[in-house]
Amino acid sequence: MAHAVISCLHANLAALEAVLSDIDQRGIKTITCLGDLVGYGPHPNEVVNLVRERGIPSCQGCWDEDIIEGLNACECSYPSQLAERRGHRAHQWTAEQLNDDNKAFLASLPMVLRRDRLVFVHGSPNSQHEYLLPDMDAFAALERVQTADADILFCGHTHRPYVRELRDGVIRVRVQTPMGSQPAAERETAWPVRRIVNAGSVGEPRHGNTHATYVIHDEATGNVEIREVPYDVERTCRAIVEVGLPPVFAWRLRHGFEYAERADDASHVCER
Amino acid sequence: MSQTWLISGPPGCGKTSWILEQFKVHRGPSGYLRLTGYPDEGLAQARDGGLDLAYLSDQCPALLDLGDPDQALAPHPADLLALIELPQFHPPAQPGLEGVDRRVLPQLQALHLTPDRHLHFGRDSELPQQDTLDFSHLQAWSLNLNTTVWDPDSLSSFWFELVNGAYGDVYRAKALMNLPDGRAFFCNWMVSQEASQFLPLQLLSPPDGRPERLSRLVVQGKDLDPVAIEATLRECLLSDAVLELQQAPLRQRHTPPTRSA
Repeated sequence: MAHAVISCLHANLAALEAVLSDIDQRGIKTITCLGDLVGYGPHPNEVVNLVRERGIPSCQGCWDEDIIEGLNACECSYPSQLAERRGHRAHQWTAEQLNDDNKAFLASLPMVLRRDRLVFVHGSPNSQHEYLLPDMDAFAALERVQTADADILFCGHTHRPYVRELRDGVIRVRVQTPMGSQPAAERETAWPVRRIVNAGSVGEPRHGNTHATYVIHDEATGNVEIREVPYDVERTCRAIVEVGLPPVFAWRLRHGFEYAERADDASHVCER
Repeated sequence: MSQTWLISGPPGCGKTSWILEQFKVHRGPSGYLRLTGYPDEGLAQARDGGLDLAYLSDQCPALLDLGDPDQALAPHPADLLALIELPQFHPPAQPGLEGVDRRVLPQLQALHLTPDRHLHFGRDSELPQQDTLDFSHLQAWSLNLNTTVWDPDSLSSFWFELVNGAYGDVYRAKALMNLPDGRAFFCNWMVSQEASQFLPLQLLSPPDGRPERLSRLVVQGKDLDPVAIEATLRECLLSDAVLELQQAPLRQRHTPPTRSA
């Protein structure tokens, strides 16, 4: 059975509608969302409403959390003062626009979703704010998948889709007893193949062009397809300006740049 | 024997860079003057505000400022190389000194400067050719940024957006920008170039409050949005409190103002 995984919608209704249409055309009935339904984009209520109407199971993203909990991330979350100011303005605007019912919905979202050996998170099993980058140290990457007790870990947050296969993983442990009273105990564990699948971003692509991205995973064959879906970018750009969000968000989206720059140290996890 | 050359050309053709190269190879004293230039139909001249002079003076500390009457009218050394920069959109009608724009002569005469040579970018093969563009319409906008200090990462983002069209079609941008650690950069971009230059100034300021050196942004292009540029600028500049927070640790290992290696 094929299922679709979407992530990082960022209140971009035009992009979400195009992606859902693409999924529907393929007859796929099971969709999972990895969070960040809101933030930066101009249609927070409309996007949350559509996800709820479609009954799409979602986990909570970092923006969803911040809208509910209040912005209390440390400054490290932003790569620059400019990005921080813009982020705060987008946060304030989104918090003002979202109705109480939708805020309660976002607050109810779990951090992790599981379906058998498939695990779904926004950033990593550790935090909605942690980036699992494609070139992350293999041992650390394997640790994240293993900790989640998953065969495939689906994540988002980076806005760049990828499939990473972790094979030939071996952990060798040697336990030395005090004073050498006994021979050192050794244990070696070989890990089966694990995969990390990043779904990219529906509403704020960062892969080099303006198309929304998501993934389709076929559980029977194991195949993962990264889908790119063109959508009416100008519709979203016009709405950004009309609702009073910073016009530069529209310019960045129109050119395939993310709304705000990514932190230099993307592996950093905010300790709040 | 002293030499006085008039170097003219359109925005971003490399006048200042070429002049700097001449100063660096000239063994004797050097002097510099930047004339204002004249607007043409649909073409506005940038208000440089002393930006090029500030950069050249940093690179050549003994440079004579020929725009200063005291220095211009003083007896000149015999081997002085005086280079006069003139922004000029279109090539002169006449070759050599015959082609000098007559309107600049009163400015030169007031400073007792008489060019003995005139080179124009795009006309004279002695000058680089590759960056000479022919503009049909050009707005100019500039902003005094004296005493401002940038958040370095914000400067990087702002400059990226500026030269890639977030605030209008920018053909030419140059600036002197201060960083909290006392460094300053001459930022230089032209639409015909692949990338911006970020050239560090030699003279470092002490990390003790706001620097006194000239700081300025000069932009030329079409459909510029100065309101949006200024709004973004304000979000990139450091407040007194943040500046102090960043400079306090630097002061402990600070040595008196010096020139970078």
